[in-house]
Amino acid sequence: MNRHGMRALALALLAAVPATLAAQEAGGSVEARLSARGLPADLVHEVQRVATDAAAHGVPAGPIADKAIEGWAKHVPAARIVAALRTFAGRMAEAGAAVRSGGLERAPGTVIAAAAEAMGGGLKPDEVSSVVRAAGTAEEAAPGLSVATSLTAQGLASRQAVTIVVDAMVHKRPMSQLLDLPSVARSMHDEGMSPGEIGDRLLPHHGDDGPGGEHHGDKDDRPPGMPPGPDHPSAPARP
Amino acid sequence: MTERRAFAPGAQRYLDGEPSGGGAAAPSPEERAAADRLAVLARAYAERLEPVSAAMDEAVMAAVRRRGAVPADRGAWRWFVRAHRVSVRPAWVAALAAAAALVVWLAPRRAAAPPRAEPAVAGASAPDTVFVRFELVAPAARSVAVAGSFNGWRTDALPMVRGAAGLWSVTVPLPIGEHRYEFVVDRTRWVPDPTAHAQVDDGFGGRNSVIIVGPKGLVRS
Repeated sequence: MNRHGMRALALALLAAVPATLAAQEAGGSVEARLSARGLPADLVHEVQRVATDAAAHGVPAGPIADKAIEGWAKHVPAARIVAALRTFAGRMAEAGAAVRSGGLERAPGTVIAAAAEAMGGGLKPDEVSSVVRAAGTAEEAAPGLSVATSLTAQGLASRQAVTIVVDAMVHKRPMSQLLDLPSVARSMHDEGMSPGEIGDRLLPHHGDDGPGGEHHGDKDDRPPGMPPGPDHPSAPARP
Repeated sequence: MTERRAFAPGAQRYLDGEPSGGGAAAPSPEERAAADRLAVLARAYAERLEPVSAAMDEAVMAAVRRRGAVPADRGAWRWFVRAHRVSVRPAWVAALAAAAALVVWLAPRRAAAPPRAEPAVAGASAPDTVFVRFELVAPAARSVAVAGSFNGWRTDALPMVRGAAGLWSVTVPLPIGEHRYEFVVDRTRWVPDPTAHAQVDDGFGGRNSVIIVGPKGLVRS
Protein backbone atom coordinates (compact mmCIF):
# COMPACT_ATOMS: atom_id res chain seq x y z
CA MET A 1 0.00 0.00 0.00
CA ASN A 2 1.43 3.39 -0.97
CA ARG A 3 1.52 6.49 1.21
CA HIS A 4 -1.81 7.87 -0.07
CA GLY A 5 -3.49 4.57 0.60
CA MET A 6 -2.14 4.55 4.14
CA ARG A 7 -3.42 8.07 4.73
CA ALA A 8 -6.87 7.21 3.42
CA LEU A 9 -7.00 4.14 5.63
CA ALA A 10 -5.93 6.11 8.69
CA LEU A 11 -8.52 8.82 8.07
CA ALA A 12 -11.22 6.20 7.54
CA LEU A 13 -10.28 4.62 10.87
CA LEU A 14 -10.45 8.01 12.56
CA ALA A 15 -13.88 8.65 11.08
CA ALA A 16 -15.08 5.29 12.33
CA VAL A 17 -14.13 6.03 15.95
CA PRO A 18 -17.43 7.64 17.07
CA ALA A 19 -19.63 4.98 15.54
CA THR A 20 -17.46 2.24 16.99
CA LEU A 21 -17.53 3.78 20.45
CA ALA A 22 -21.29 4.22 20.29
CA ALA A 23 -21.78 0.67 19.15
CA GLN A 24 -19.54 -0.68 21.92
CA GLU A 25 -21.35 1.40 24.50
CA ALA A 26 -24.70 0.22 23.19
CA GLY A 27 -23.65 -3.40 23.26
CA GLY A 28 -22.26 -3.18 26.77
CA SER A 29 -25.21 -1.43 28.38
CA VAL A 30 -27.74 -3.65 26.61
CA GLU A 31 -25.97 -6.81 27.71
CA ALA A 32 -25.84 -5.64 31.31
CA ARG A 33 -29.52 -4.72 31.43
CA LEU A 34 -30.78 -7.86 29.75
CA SER A 35 -28.58 -10.15 31.79
CA ALA A 36 -29.81 -8.47 34.97
CA ARG A 37 -33.36 -9.32 33.93
CA GLY A 38 -32.50 -12.98 33.40
CA LEU A 39 -32.72 -13.21 29.63
CA PRO A 40 -30.85 -16.26 28.28
CA ALA A 41 -27.37 -15.66 26.94
CA ASP A 42 -28.18 -16.50 23.32
CA LEU A 43 -31.11 -14.07 23.27
CA VAL A 44 -28.97 -11.41 24.94
CA HIS A 45 -26.39 -11.94 22.22
CA GLU A 46 -29.01 -11.55 19.47
CA VAL A 47 -30.50 -8.42 21.01
CA GLN A 48 -27.03 -7.01 21.51
CA ARG A 49 -26.33 -7.53 17.83
CA VAL A 50 -29.51 -5.71 16.82
CA ALA A 51 -28.71 -2.87 19.23
CA THR A 52 -25.13 -2.59 18.04
CA ASP A 53 -26.20 -2.48 14.39
CA ALA A 54 -28.81 0.12 15.26
CA ALA A 55 -26.37 2.23 17.29
CA ALA A 56 -23.94 2.27 14.38
CA HIS A 57 -26.71 4.00 12.41
CA GLY A 58 -27.43 6.50 15.15
CA VAL A 59 -30.40 4.65 16.62
CA PRO A 60 -30.48 4.59 20.44
CA ALA A 61 -30.03 1.19 22.01
CA GLY A 62 -32.08 1.86 25.14
CA PRO A 63 -35.55 1.52 23.57
CA ILE A 64 -34.44 -1.70 21.88
CA ALA A 65 -33.42 -3.13 25.23
CA ASP A 66 -36.74 -1.95 26.70
CA LYS A 67 -38.63 -3.72 23.96
CA ALA A 68 -36.66 -6.92 24.46
CA ILE A 69 -37.43 -6.86 28.17
CA GLU A 70 -41.11 -6.30 27.41
CA GLY A 71 -41.19 -9.27 25.06
CA TRP A 72 -39.35 -11.49 27.51
CA ALA A 73 -41.73 -10.50 30.33
CA LYS A 74 -44.67 -11.40 28.10
CA HIS A 75 -43.17 -14.83 27.37
CA VAL A 76 -42.83 -14.08 23.67
CA PRO A 77 -40.61 -16.69 21.92
CA ALA A 78 -37.04 -15.52 21.40
CA ALA A 79 -37.23 -15.65 17.60
CA ARG A 80 -40.28 -13.40 17.58
CA ILE A 81 -38.63 -10.99 19.99
CA VAL A 82 -35.63 -10.64 17.70
CA ALA A 83 -37.84 -10.21 14.63
CA ALA A 84 -39.90 -7.53 16.40
CA LEU A 85 -36.74 -5.76 17.49
CA ARG A 86 -35.42 -5.63 13.94
CA THR A 87 -38.70 -4.09 12.80
CA PHE A 88 -38.61 -1.65 15.70
CA ALA A 89 -34.99 -0.70 15.00
CA GLY A 90 -35.81 -0.07 11.36
CA ARG A 91 -38.72 2.11 12.34
CA MET A 92 -36.53 4.02 14.77
CA ALA A 93 -34.04 4.70 11.99
CA GLU A 94 -36.86 6.21 9.91
CA ALA A 95 -38.11 8.05 12.97
CA GLY A 96 -34.64 9.46 13.59
CA ALA A 97 -34.60 10.85 10.07
CA ALA A 98 -38.03 12.40 10.56
CA VAL A 99 -36.93 13.96 13.85
CA ARG A 100 -33.81 15.39 12.24
CA SER A 101 -35.95 16.70 9.43
CA GLY A 102 -37.98 18.48 12.09
CA GLY A 103 -34.88 20.33 13.25
CA LEU A 104 -33.58 18.21 16.12
CA GLU A 105 -30.17 17.04 14.98
CA ARG A 106 -29.20 15.30 18.18
CA ALA A 107 -32.43 14.03 19.64
CA PRO A 108 -32.26 11.85 22.74
CA GLY A 109 -33.50 8.28 22.67
CA THR A 110 -36.81 9.20 24.26
CA VAL A 111 -37.71 11.44 21.35
CA ILE A 112 -36.69 8.93 18.71
CA ALA A 113 -38.56 6.17 20.53
CA ALA A 114 -41.65 8.38 20.78
CA ALA A 115 -41.35 9.17 17.08
CA ALA A 116 -41.00 5.48 16.26
CA GLU A 117 -44.08 4.68 18.34
CA ALA A 118 -45.91 7.51 16.60
CA MET A 119 -45.04 6.14 13.18
CA GLY A 120 -46.04 2.69 14.35
CA GLY A 121 -49.33 4.24 15.44
CA GLY A 122 -50.02 5.68 12.03
CA LEU A 123 -48.28 9.05 11.88
CA LYS A 124 -46.42 9.75 8.66
CA PRO A 125 -42.79 10.93 8.71
CA ASP A 126 -43.74 14.46 7.67
CA GLU A 127 -46.31 14.59 10.48
CA VAL A 128 -43.66 13.55 12.97
CA SER A 129 -41.42 16.28 11.60
CA SER A 130 -44.24 18.82 12.00
CA VAL A 131 -44.68 18.00 15.68
CA VAL A 132 -40.93 18.12 16.32
CA ARG A 133 -40.61 21.43 14.49
CA ALA A 134 -43.46 22.96 16.47
CA ALA A 135 -42.01 21.67 19.74
CA GLY A 136 -38.56 23.08 19.10
CA THR A 137 -36.98 21.21 21.99
CA ALA A 138 -36.55 17.56 22.81
CA GLU A 139 -38.33 18.09 26.15
CA GLU A 140 -41.51 19.11 24.37
CA ALA A 141 -41.18 16.94 21.29
CA ALA A 142 -41.51 13.62 23.11
CA PRO A 143 -44.77 14.41 24.93
CA GLY A 144 -46.13 16.10 21.81
CA LEU A 145 -45.52 12.98 19.77
CA SER A 146 -47.02 10.81 22.50
CA VAL A 147 -50.16 12.90 22.63
CA ALA A 148 -50.54 12.84 18.86
CA THR A 149 -50.06 9.06 18.92
CA SER A 150 -52.63 8.65 21.66
CA LEU A 151 -55.19 10.80 19.87
CA THR A 152 -54.63 8.82 16.69
CA ALA A 153 -55.05 5.59 18.63
CA GLN A 154 -58.38 6.93 19.90
CA GLY A 155 -59.62 7.12 16.36
CA LEU A 156 -58.75 10.63 15.24
CA ALA A 157 -57.15 10.99 11.82
CA SER A 158 -53.39 11.39 12.18
CA ARG A 159 -53.44 14.70 10.31
CA GLN A 160 -56.16 15.96 12.66
CA ALA A 161 -54.28 14.80 15.76
CA VAL A 162 -51.07 16.44 14.57
CA THR A 163 -52.85 19.70 13.81
CA ILE A 164 -54.30 19.78 17.33
CA VAL A 165 -50.92 19.14 18.93
CA VAL A 166 -49.03 21.55 16.70
CA ASP A 167 -51.56 24.28 17.40
CA ALA A 168 -51.21 23.79 21.14
CA MET A 169 -47.45 24.07 20.85
CA VAL A 170 -47.40 27.02 18.48
CA HIS A 171 -49.74 28.92 20.77
CA LYS A 172 -47.51 28.07 23.74
CA ARG A 173 -50.26 26.38 25.67
CA PRO A 174 -49.06 24.94 29.00
CA MET A 175 -47.74 21.40 28.95
CA SER A 176 -50.53 20.43 31.33
CA GLN A 177 -53.08 21.27 28.62
CA LEU A 178 -51.19 19.31 26.02
CA LEU A 179 -50.88 16.25 28.21
CA ASP A 180 -54.55 16.42 29.15
CA LEU A 181 -55.73 16.20 25.54
CA PRO A 182 -55.97 12.38 25.51
CA SER A 183 -58.04 12.48 28.70
CA VAL A 184 -60.31 15.10 27.23
CA ALA A 185 -60.73 13.06 24.08
CA ARG A 186 -61.48 10.01 26.19
CA SER A 187 -64.09 11.95 28.15
CA MET A 188 -65.74 13.05 24.93
CA HIS A 189 -65.69 9.48 23.70
CA ASP A 190 -67.39 8.37 26.91
CA GLU A 191 -70.04 11.01 26.32
CA GLY A 192 -70.82 9.31 23.03
CA MET A 193 -68.96 11.51 20.60
CA SER A 194 -67.43 9.99 17.50
CA PRO A 195 -63.69 10.45 16.74
CA GLY A 196 -64.60 12.89 13.99
CA GLU A 197 -66.65 14.99 16.38
CA ILE A 198 -63.91 14.86 19.00
CA GLY A 199 -61.39 16.02 16.43
CA ASP A 200 -63.66 18.87 15.39
CA ARG A 201 -64.07 19.95 19.00
CA LEU A 202 -60.34 19.85 19.67
CA LEU A 203 -59.28 21.34 16.36
CA PRO A 204 -58.18 24.95 16.51
CA HIS A 205 -60.42 27.49 14.81
CA HIS A 206 -58.39 30.54 14.16
CA GLY A 207 -60.06 33.76 15.16
CA ASP A 208 -62.23 32.06 17.77
CA ASP A 209 -61.63 32.18 21.45
CA GLY A 210 -60.85 28.50 21.29
CA PRO A 211 -61.61 25.29 19.44
CA GLY A 212 -65.30 24.80 18.81
CA GLY A 213 -66.07 27.81 20.93
CA GLU A 214 -65.65 25.64 23.99
CA HIS A 215 -62.22 26.80 25.00
CA HIS A 216 -62.34 29.20 27.86
CA GLY A 217 -58.93 30.72 27.43
CA ASP A 218 -56.16 30.56 29.95
CA LYS A 219 -58.38 31.79 32.75
CA ASP A 220 -59.29 28.33 33.97
CA ASP A 221 -56.26 26.64 32.41
CA ARG A 222 -58.31 24.04 30.61
CA PRO A 223 -57.25 22.15 27.51
CA PRO A 224 -58.94 23.08 24.25
CA GLY A 225 -62.44 21.65 24.05
CA MET A 226 -62.60 20.57 27.68
CA PRO A 227 -66.09 21.25 29.00
CA PRO A 228 -66.38 23.57 31.99
CA GLY A 229 -66.97 22.16 35.44
CA PRO A 230 -65.25 21.38 38.67
CA ASP A 231 -62.23 19.17 38.66
CA HIS A 232 -60.42 17.45 41.46
CA PRO A 233 -56.70 17.90 41.19
CA SER A 234 -56.05 15.90 44.31
CA ALA A 235 -58.02 12.89 43.17
CA PRO A 236 -56.03 10.01 41.72
CA ALA A 237 -56.08 9.96 37.98
CA ARG A 238 -57.71 7.05 36.25
CA PRO A 239 -56.54 5.79 32.93
CA MET B 1 44.34 4.41 58.62
CA THR B 2 44.98 6.73 61.50
CA GLU B 3 48.68 5.85 61.52
CA ARG B 4 48.98 6.41 57.76
CA ARG B 5 47.43 9.83 57.96
CA ALA B 6 50.09 10.79 60.46
CA PHE B 7 52.83 10.05 57.95
CA ALA B 8 54.65 12.83 56.24
CA PRO B 9 54.86 12.65 52.45
CA GLY B 10 58.52 11.61 52.79
CA ALA B 11 57.62 8.62 54.93
CA GLN B 12 54.93 7.64 52.38
CA ARG B 13 57.52 7.70 49.60
CA TYR B 14 59.87 5.72 51.83
CA LEU B 15 57.21 3.03 52.29
CA ASP B 16 56.52 2.99 48.57
CA GLY B 17 60.22 2.43 47.95
CA GLU B 18 60.74 5.72 46.17
CA PRO B 19 64.05 7.58 46.61
CA SER B 20 63.67 10.47 49.05
CA GLY B 21 66.71 12.45 47.85
CA GLY B 22 67.25 14.04 51.29
CA GLY B 23 66.18 17.56 52.19
CA ALA B 24 63.11 18.70 54.07
CA ALA B 25 60.89 15.99 52.54
CA ALA B 26 63.13 13.15 53.83
CA PRO B 27 61.56 11.08 56.65
CA SER B 28 62.89 11.46 60.14
CA PRO B 29 64.53 8.48 61.89
CA GLU B 30 61.36 8.00 63.99
CA GLU B 31 59.25 7.91 60.89
CA ARG B 32 61.57 5.42 59.22
CA ALA B 33 61.41 3.21 62.32
CA ALA B 34 57.58 3.34 62.35
CA ALA B 35 57.46 2.60 58.64
CA ASP B 36 59.77 -0.35 59.01
CA ARG B 37 57.64 -1.65 61.86
CA LEU B 38 54.51 -1.41 59.70
CA ALA B 39 56.22 -3.09 56.79
CA VAL B 40 57.17 -6.04 59.03
CA LEU B 41 53.60 -6.36 60.28
CA ALA B 42 52.23 -6.20 56.74
CA ARG B 43 54.54 -8.93 55.54
CA ALA B 44 53.59 -11.15 58.53
CA TYR B 45 49.89 -10.62 57.73
CA ALA B 46 50.38 -11.43 54.08
CA GLU B 47 52.18 -14.63 54.95
CA ARG B 48 49.22 -15.72 57.03
CA LEU B 49 46.76 -15.31 54.16
CA GLU B 50 45.86 -18.49 52.28
CA PRO B 51 46.54 -18.32 48.59
CA VAL B 52 43.39 -17.93 46.39
CA SER B 53 42.78 -21.05 44.33
CA ALA B 54 42.13 -21.02 40.60
CA ALA B 55 38.71 -22.61 41.24
CA MET B 56 37.77 -19.54 43.23
CA ASP B 57 38.55 -17.34 40.29
CA GLU B 58 36.38 -19.46 38.01
CA ALA B 59 33.48 -19.44 40.49
CA VAL B 60 33.58 -15.66 40.83
CA MET B 61 33.69 -15.11 37.09
CA ALA B 62 30.80 -17.55 36.53
CA ALA B 63 28.69 -15.67 39.07
CA VAL B 64 29.49 -12.36 37.39
CA ARG B 65 28.51 -13.75 34.00
CA ARG B 66 25.21 -15.02 35.39
CA ARG B 67 24.27 -11.70 36.96
CA GLY B 68 25.39 -9.76 33.98
CA ALA B 69 23.25 -11.64 31.46
CA VAL B 70 20.75 -9.24 29.76
CA PRO B 71 17.14 -10.51 29.56
CA ALA B 72 15.47 -10.71 26.18
CA ASP B 73 13.12 -7.81 26.90
CA ARG B 74 15.86 -5.62 28.25
CA GLY B 75 16.84 -4.66 24.72
CA ALA B 76 13.33 -3.44 23.91
CA TRP B 77 13.10 -1.62 27.20
CA ARG B 78 16.45 0.01 26.56
CA TRP B 79 15.13 1.17 23.17
CA PHE B 80 11.98 2.43 24.81
CA VAL B 81 13.70 4.59 27.41
CA ARG B 82 16.45 5.84 25.14
CA ALA B 83 16.01 9.20 23.39
CA HIS B 84 15.22 8.99 19.69
CA ARG B 85 14.98 11.52 16.96
CA VAL B 86 11.41 11.63 15.57
CA SER B 87 10.16 13.52 12.56
CA VAL B 88 6.46 14.47 12.50
CA ARG B 89 4.24 15.86 9.76
CA PRO B 90 1.96 18.65 11.07
CA ALA B 91 -1.01 17.18 9.21
CA TRP B 92 -0.72 13.96 11.20
CA VAL B 93 -0.46 15.88 14.47
CA ALA B 94 -3.68 17.69 13.60
CA ALA B 95 -5.40 14.41 12.74
CA LEU B 96 -4.31 12.76 15.98
CA ALA B 97 -5.35 15.82 17.97
CA ALA B 98 -8.76 15.70 16.30
CA ALA B 99 -9.09 12.03 17.19
CA ALA B 100 -8.11 12.71 20.79
CA ALA B 101 -10.57 15.60 20.98
CA LEU B 102 -13.25 13.34 19.60
CA VAL B 103 -12.61 10.73 22.26
CA VAL B 104 -12.60 13.37 25.00
CA TRP B 105 -15.79 14.84 23.61
CA LEU B 106 -17.49 11.48 23.67
CA ALA B 107 -16.19 10.38 27.05
CA PRO B 108 -18.01 12.95 29.26
CA ARG B 109 -21.27 12.25 27.48
CA ARG B 110 -20.95 8.61 28.27
CA ALA B 111 -19.98 9.31 31.85
CA ALA B 112 -22.70 11.89 32.32
CA ALA B 113 -25.42 9.66 30.97
CA PRO B 114 -27.75 8.83 33.83
CA PRO B 115 -27.82 5.19 34.78
CA ARG B 116 -30.92 3.58 33.38
CA ALA B 117 -32.22 1.23 35.97
CA GLU B 118 -35.43 0.82 34.04
CA PRO B 119 -36.91 2.29 30.88
CA ALA B 120 -37.22 6.03 30.94
CA VAL B 121 -40.56 7.69 30.50
CA ALA B 122 -41.00 9.82 27.44
CA GLY B 123 -41.47 13.43 28.34
CA ALA B 124 -40.89 13.01 32.04
CA SER B 125 -38.22 15.65 32.33
CA ALA B 126 -39.29 16.68 35.82
CA PRO B 127 -39.58 14.37 38.78
CA ASP B 128 -43.27 15.32 39.16
CA THR B 129 -45.47 12.38 39.82
CA VAL B 130 -49.20 11.90 39.78
CA PHE B 131 -51.13 9.22 41.58
CA VAL B 132 -52.89 7.02 39.06
CA ARG B 133 -55.46 4.44 40.06
CA PHE B 134 -55.63 1.30 37.95
CA GLU B 135 -58.75 -0.83 38.08
CA LEU B 136 -59.84 -4.07 36.45
CA VAL B 137 -63.00 -6.07 37.00
CA ALA B 138 -61.96 -9.71 37.05
CA PRO B 139 -64.13 -11.73 39.47
CA ALA B 140 -62.63 -15.07 38.49
CA ALA B 141 -59.00 -14.00 38.78
CA ARG B 142 -56.79 -15.34 41.55
CA SER B 143 -54.25 -12.52 41.15
CA VAL B 144 -53.94 -9.37 39.10
CA ALA B 145 -50.93 -7.08 38.72
CA VAL B 146 -50.11 -4.13 36.54
CA ALA B 147 -46.90 -4.19 34.51
CA GLY B 148 -45.64 -1.60 32.09
CA SER B 149 -42.96 0.75 30.93
CA PHE B 150 -42.95 2.40 34.36
CA ASN B 151 -41.80 -0.74 36.20
CA GLY B 152 -39.74 -2.51 33.56
CA TRP B 153 -42.65 -4.82 32.75
CA ARG B 154 -42.12 -6.70 35.99
CA THR B 155 -45.13 -8.88 36.65
CA ASP B 156 -44.63 -8.99 40.41
CA ALA B 157 -43.81 -5.36 41.18
CA LEU B 158 -47.32 -3.89 41.41
CA PRO B 159 -49.87 -6.43 42.63
CA MET B 160 -53.48 -5.23 42.73
CA VAL B 161 -55.86 -5.69 45.63
CA ARG B 162 -59.18 -7.42 45.24
CA GLY B 163 -62.21 -5.39 46.30
CA ALA B 164 -65.94 -5.81 46.18
CA ALA B 165 -67.51 -7.50 43.15
CA GLY B 166 -64.14 -8.67 41.85
CA LEU B 167 -62.78 -5.17 41.32
CA TRP B 168 -58.99 -5.26 41.47
CA SER B 169 -57.21 -1.96 42.01
CA VAL B 170 -53.92 -0.31 42.86
CA THR B 171 -52.86 3.33 43.08
CA VAL B 172 -49.41 4.09 41.72
CA PRO B 173 -47.34 7.30 41.62
CA LEU B 174 -46.33 7.79 38.01
CA PRO B 175 -44.09 10.42 36.44
CA ILE B 176 -45.72 12.88 34.09
CA GLY B 177 -45.64 11.60 30.54
CA GLU B 178 -46.68 8.63 28.49
CA HIS B 179 -46.79 5.10 29.88
CA ARG B 180 -47.64 1.75 28.33
CA TYR B 181 -48.92 -1.12 30.38
CA GLU B 182 -51.10 -4.19 30.65
CA PHE B 183 -52.71 -6.15 33.42
CA VAL B 184 -51.28 -9.57 34.26
CA VAL B 185 -54.03 -11.92 35.35
CA ASP B 186 -53.06 -15.06 37.26
CA ARG B 187 -49.40 -14.37 36.46
CA THR B 188 -49.76 -15.61 32.90
CA ARG B 189 -52.47 -13.77 30.98
CA TRP B 190 -51.75 -10.26 29.68
CA VAL B 191 -54.90 -8.17 29.42
CA PRO B 192 -55.13 -4.60 28.04
CA ASP B 193 -56.98 -2.00 30.10
CA PRO B 194 -60.40 -1.43 28.50
CA THR B 195 -60.58 2.05 30.05
CA ALA B 196 -57.17 3.26 28.87
CA HIS B 197 -56.70 6.34 26.74
CA ALA B 198 -55.69 4.18 23.83
CA GLN B 199 -54.55 0.72 22.82
CA VAL B 200 -51.54 0.36 20.55
CA ASP B 201 -49.76 -2.51 18.88
CA ASP B 202 -47.02 -3.87 21.15
CA GLY B 203 -45.00 -5.29 18.26
CA PHE B 204 -45.42 -8.87 19.47
CA GLY B 205 -48.96 -9.44 18.24
CA GLY B 206 -50.66 -8.00 21.32
CA ARG B 207 -51.93 -4.62 22.41
CA ASN B 208 -50.51 -2.24 24.99
CA SER B 209 -52.69 0.20 26.89
CA VAL B 210 -51.52 3.80 26.88
CA ILE B 211 -51.95 6.40 29.56
CA ILE B 212 -50.67 9.95 29.32
CA VAL B 213 -50.27 11.45 32.75
CA GLY B 214 -50.62 15.20 32.94
CA PRO B 215 -49.57 17.42 35.83
CA LYS B 216 -53.11 18.24 36.91
CA GLY B 217 -53.71 14.85 38.41
CA LEU B 218 -57.19 14.54 37.00
CA VAL B 219 -58.10 12.51 34.00
CA ARG B 220 -61.80 12.14 34.66
CA SER B 221 -63.85 12.15 37.80
